[in-house]
This record gives sequence, structure tokens and C-alpha cells, in this order.
Amino acid sequence: MGLFDSFRAMLGISAESDATTKADPEDLFGMSTAYLTMEADLRFDSADEAALCFSSVDSTDFADTVDAVEDILTAGSEETGTEFSRHTDGHGYNWVVLADDDPEDLVTSVHFAADEFIERGYGSRLLAALFGFERDGDRAYWIYSFRRGAYYPFAPQGTSTRNQSLEFKLESVLDGELEIEGDESYWYPLWPSTPNGHPWD
Amino acid sequence: MNWKPDWGLRGRMALTMFLLFALYIVFAGLLAWYFDGLFIMAGFMGVFLFAQFFFSDKIALYSMGASVVDEDDGPQARKLHAMVGRLSQQADLPKPKVAIADTRVPNAFATGRSQKSSAVCVTTGLMETLDDDELEGVIAHELAHVKNRDVMVMTIASFLSSIAFLIVRWGWLFGGDDNRQNAPVIVAIIASLVVWIISYLLIRALSRYREYAADRGAAVITGRPSALASALLKISGRMDNVPKRDMRDTSEMNAFFIIPIKSDFIGRLFSTHPSTENRVERLRDMEREMETA
Repeated sequence: MGLFDSFRAMLGISAESDATTKADPEDLFGMSTAYLTMEADLRFDSADEAALCFSSVDSTDFADTVDAVEDILTAGSEETGTEFSRHTDGHGYNWVVLADDDPEDLVTSVHFAADEFIERGYGSRLLAALFGFERDGDRAYWIYSFRRGAYYPFAPQGTSTRNQSLEFKLESVLDGELEIEGDESYWYPLWPSTPNGHPWD
Repeated sequence: MNWKPDWGLRGRMALTMFLLFALYIVFAGLLAWYFDGLFIMAGFMGVFLFAQFFFSDKIALYSMGASVVDEDDGPQARKLHAMVGRLSQQADLPKPKVAIADTRVPNAFATGRSQKSSAVCVTTGLMETLDDDELEGVIAHELAHVKNRDVMVMTIASFLSSIAFLIVRWGWLFGGDDNRQNAPVIVAIIASLVVWIISYLLIRALSRYREYAADRGAAVITGRPSALASALLKISGRMDNVPKRDMRDTSEMNAFFIIPIKSDFIGRLFSTHPSTENRVERLRDMEREMETA
């Protein structure tokens, strides 16, 4: 804990200021090439779906922002054919789910949507972007944390266990290509509610 | 979304800490002047502080009869884990352990000396009383305590105060022989008493300010100040109807509770938490700022 952190903790403002840290979308684009590596080296195919996860703000301005994001994605879908849907799951997470069989388009759409949140001053509400992968029924995700500006792997088995050896493998192979979160205590799980579902279903 | 910083609150908090610090310096000087075996005592107290600090989470959970739960320990545990996970993600905090205490008293608290060893505990009564948004507000408040390192701050802040209290209580055992100045032991006891009373009031003030700070943190984390406000109103309404025996069992834990158990004898000056009306009023200000700023 640095001096500045201690000072903020003393004044009791760590919670307030860290919850409003700006989003760091810089390393999001690493996913475009990661898709290729995942397929070539690990035989993991794209699940053809990606999702953006955000926490809401109880204000009219935020509701307008979400509408604007939907408009942008609607416009985008005409161009790239990326389909999208928006919903809130049983745990209270808000999702924008994107479907496209071209991974490149998924990355671009996630980026567009995230950018709109950031432009309108709600970057701190972006929690994560998820990119889905499949291999013989195994599911794996790369999760990008906008708070920390880094990726981490997530391989759920059923609804509450992680396949840690697979996560370790993903981390080792993609290290260097993706900016990976070094502190594993920040590898937040996002459990699917059914054994074969996606976290956003 | 950014709210205007509450400089008044920060200023008051800094001033309280400064006064406490100044008081402690004077007190430490006085002890050094008075006692011979001061270093032995300081070492002893250091160990005591360390132990308290190190085991505080276990002690707190144990004294509340709370048990740490896993993801798959039933639907309540699952729901809490999901909620705590999401809110810690928003707060940029490693996910703390989750504990449930089986009691009808609706309450919640956070423990742990560091962010990595912390635990958030809620009672079954709380989960029954509140809806999901309100529960989220309360959990975010506890996470804000963890984030602000309140256990550490309050432990350090009350360290010398507890030494002063020990001297007041047991000082007479030292007698008059083993002090440096040959002053009667009553001098040390009276000085300690004064230090203890003043530091007690300052610590209580500090605790109230940190509650306000955690409320602000919760509002910012959830993006929904009104949810915590309605949770506070609901809990404080329920608290008045809680049977007396529960109060006595749990009153030691007050400093970590979301809402302290009411006591008619203790005035506002002595309370660890601000009044619910004041807290709700401030949350309302934040709600207003959100729509109009």
C-alpha cells in the first residue's frame, strides 16, 4: 500500500474514488489476434458470442446513455450483421450480448459500445467484456476488466467450479499477446446459471 | 458519474484524527516521563494490538455466530456471493469472504485487517427484511468500509485509548515504587482518565464520519443512493422492535454494524453511528445531485 493509498484510506475516500476510476479500454483490442492463437494453438473455436457487462446508475441520464448504445449497435448491425440483445440477469448484472460468427466484428462492436459509455462519462460503470470460446463442449472465456485494463481467463465447470488447470494453460499460452491481470484475486468469476449456459444467459 | 467531493466531511475527519494524534503524543510523553518499565509495557501492548488486529475477523465472526459460506451452500449463499462479487468488481476490490449469521436482527458488518483477508457478514434477518436493491446498498456500504480500511484505522485510532483505559482500571496495582518521578500513582491514573475520556469522544466522532464516508462509497458503488436510504429506514424501523436480550448480546459489536443497536442511555455524542435521519438526508442530496448535475 503506497503513501497515497494510505492517505486516501485515512480520509475514508478510497471507496468513493476507486468506484469512479475511469475505464481503461486500451488493451481491449488484443482480443482480435488472440482469437487466432486460441484456434491455432489450443483448438478453441469462437463461441460466436461476446458480451459487455455493466452496472447501472439510477438516473435518467444513464438510461439515455443505454439507449444511445443500443442505437449505435443497431446502426452497426446493419453494416456488419452483428446481432445484439440487452438484458438483466438473475444476479442483477446488466448485459449487452453480441452474436456474430466473425470474431473481428465482435471485438469491434464491444469496443463501440464501451466507447459510448466512456464518452458519456459512465466508463466507471463498465465491469467487463467477455469473449466466449468452445472446444468439445468445454467452455472458456477471456474477460476484459475495464477497471484494471487487463484480461483474465475464466473456465467454468458446471455452475460453481473453475477449471483451474485450463485457466492456467490459457494464461500461459496467451501471456504476452494479451495484457493479463497479474493479481489472481481480481479474477472475478461470472458463473453461468445453468451448467451449459453462458454467464450472460 | 462523479459526485462533488464532500470536503466538509474530509476536513472534519482530518481534524479529528489530528486532535487524536496530538492527544496521543502528549499522553505517550507523559507515560515516558512517569513510568520506568515503559518499553516492556509498550512491547506487551504491541503484542496485544497485533493479536487483536490479526484475529479480529475470526473474533467478530465467532461472537456473532456467523459462518463463512461457499458459493454452493444454498440459494441464499449463491445470491450473496453473486452480489458481493459484482459490487467488489465495481469497487475494484478482491472479492471478500461471505458469511451469514442466523439471527432475526437485520444487520450486516465487515471485518478483516486487510482487503485480502476481509469478510462481509449479513444476518438472515437482513435478507428477509430487504429487497435486492436495498441489500445491495447495505453490502456496498460494508465493502466501502473494507475499501477504506476502517478496521485498521479504528484499531490504530483506539490503541492508546485502550492503554489509557487499562491504566485507569489497573494503574493502582503498580503502586508508587516503580515510577521514575516518585509521584503518586494517582497522578498517572487521573491523567489517563482525562486522555481516555477525550479520546473516547474523538474516536466516536471519527467512527460517525467514517459511516458517512462509507454511505457515500455505497452510493457511488451501486449508483443508487436511494436504495441504501430506504434500507436504512427499513432497518432502523425494525431495530426498535427487537427484543432487549439480543441487544445486550450483540452491543459490543456496534462499531462494525450497519446500524447500531439502539440504547436510550447513550446520547448522540457517544454513538458510533450518525442518526438515520442525517444519513438518509445526505443520501438524498446525492440522489438529487445525480439527476440535476
